[in-house]
Amino acid sequence: MTLGPFELVSVVHLVRPSGHRAGNLEELRVGIERADAASLFYHTIQGPLRQPDSSSGGLPQDDFSAWANGVLQDRETAERLSFAVQGHGGSEAELRQALLEALASVSEKERRERAAPAESALVFLTSESVRVPVGVSAYDADELVEALTAAGPDVWFHHLVEEPWYQDGVVPIARWAQSLGEARLASLLEEESRAGHGLEEMRRRLMRRWRQSRLHGRIAAAAAATEDERREAGRAAVAGLVRRITKTGGTE
Amino acid sequence: MTLVAVREDGPSLIDGYRASVGDGPLRALEALARRLRGHRVVMVNATATGGGVAEILHRLVRLMNELGVPTTWEVIPGDPRFYGITKTIHNTLHGWPGTLTEDDQAYFHEVNRRGAQALALDGDLVLIHDPQPAGLVLHRRQSRQHWVWRCHIDLSQAQLAVWDFLAPMVGAYDAAVFSHISFVPPLQVPAYLVPPSIDPLSDKNRELSDEEEAALLAPLQLSQRRPWVTQVSRFDRIKDPLGVIEAFLLTRKREDAQLVLAGGSADDDPEGAAVLAEVQEKAGKRADIAVRMLPPDAHLTINALQRRSTVVVQKSLREGFALTVSEALWKRRAVVASAVGGIPLQVIHERTGLLVRSVQGCSYQMTRLLRSPDLRKRLGAEGREHVRHNFLHPREARDYLAIFARLVEAAGG
Repeated sequence: MTLGPFELVSVVHLVRPSGHRAGNLEELRVGIERADAASLFYHTIQGPLRQPDSSSGGLPQDDFSAWANGVLQDRETAERLSFAVQGHGGSEAELRQALLEALASVSEKERRERAAPAESALVFLTSESVRVPVGVSAYDADELVEALTAAGPDVWFHHLVEEPWYQDGVVPIARWAQSLGEARLASLLEEESRAGHGLEEMRRRLMRRWRQSRLHGRIAAAAAATEDERREAGRAAVAGLVRRITKTGGTE
Repeated sequence: MTLVAVREDGPSLIDGYRASVGDGPLRALEALARRLRGHRVVMVNATATGGGVAEILHRLVRLMNELGVPTTWEVIPGDPRFYGITKTIHNTLHGWPGTLTEDDQAYFHEVNRRGAQALALDGDLVLIHDPQPAGLVLHRRQSRQHWVWRCHIDLSQAQLAVWDFLAPMVGAYDAAVFSHISFVPPLQVPAYLVPPSIDPLSDKNRELSDEEEAALLAPLQLSQRRPWVTQVSRFDRIKDPLGVIEAFLLTRKREDAQLVLAGGSADDDPEGAAVLAEVQEKAGKRADIAVRMLPPDAHLTINALQRRSTVVVQKSLREGFALTVSEALWKRRAVVASAVGGIPLQVIHERTGLLVRSVQGCSYQMTRLLRSPDLRKRLGAEGREHVRHNFLHPREARDYLAIFARLVEAAGG
């Protein structure tokens, strides 16, 4: 059963203070324990949207490890927190547990001692997501990939990061592809959703892998085709090439 | 006249912004605007010229109208006494000394009461900018309206007595908007964080040809031989022009350069002339320090100054946001700026610019940038992309529309 056209959605995150501040690692622990899902999401998962060109190999992008590293100068805890985010970003419960475990590796006494100057406290924020359909719908896999190619990082973030996170790992855009019988695209979307790459890297990888899979599919189809079908496909390819050259004035 | 006439001639802003930020952000903006069809917006502030807020409003109002959300802009009428009081409020909210007498407070309320009668505050959504017109909300006449207070000021060091005077007014709004988390005081209403933005299409930020640039700069009679280190800001103590001169004098011991201090004064700032005199006195007759007072409409000249500068400085002691930083970054300039207010949102240290906290630090980074073209190029390129994603008008308009949509939909509208 298919689910109808897939509508691309952007999202605006309206950011608000949640009311909690952390001046030391113990207060950070309490803050993480009490933070609502949107707050946890904002401080950990939303980083790639704020810096879409960053790759996951650089400095920690989440606010907790960045604060422990940059303000408290506690590099060991920063690494543990960063690993918790990168390794357990799939669901709220898993992530919260992993972050609390990272902080539990420091004794309570030490957590209280590792403190920031008052003006450098970590202020917990939360975000309200305002969904904004961008007016583009896809009816098949190629249209979806084409629409994603033209879409901004906010659209990628919403469909491949935010929706899966709030839906315990379910990737609705992949489910839609699956419902069309596009198992390969569904699998690529799910893999990229889980991989934790920066948004630009995610876009590059998905496009490259999708083109490769289409090419493999075409080669396999060609191998199984009759001589007449192959000849017809060759004529169509040449005609397409001529059209492209004519369109670009022969400059490519 | 309280209604500000916004220029609506010339090419479409929407098309221009699409070229600057791409199709995706504009589609989102248009989709949000569709959700607000049938609603009217009124913006209110204290001045139609001078200062960053007026600049933003000139474009934002036009953009909202182009998007199909009818928007008007009103300016609260004031007089020298009112502006003196609001300047005290502005300074004390930034943490500077000063007091508001009971008479001052009563006069502030009186001007706001009169303003509420004079202004056309009949929108479904009313966005009030900064403290001067904050008291208008106490006279709201239609219960179905949504009122939002937009604070562009750094309140992190605000004098408690003055904030206590403003707080009951702010508490009467449906929501408040601040530029940075550290500016948010304790509030009973939802407080959203929305950084301000610059206009890539405005005279202050559009591309200039070499000929245009040379023609615009010629009247300023600046040295063509030395690299320029420039601060473009109002002549205001908060912008620390004297500190910039001190930092530059330290730099001059090691590098040849020219300091350019250029700026004007907002209509509602009675201290500008005094600060300019102090700056001129400190600069003395040195040939390597140029102080230039610019008229409020010298946008093209500022554009050319920033583009021609080797290093752009923003050594503020306090800041709301310092849009001059985003302006310089958009022009791929290397920026040295104080780590105050909203500047660290724009200048990510060693990635999009260099942050400093002292005269000495400022001098050190000026020198470093003057000596390294590669560093300037790298920071400038990253700075431009950072601004493209985060600090251009379409993003700010999008955030306001999202807040409005949220308020309207929460009220069942």
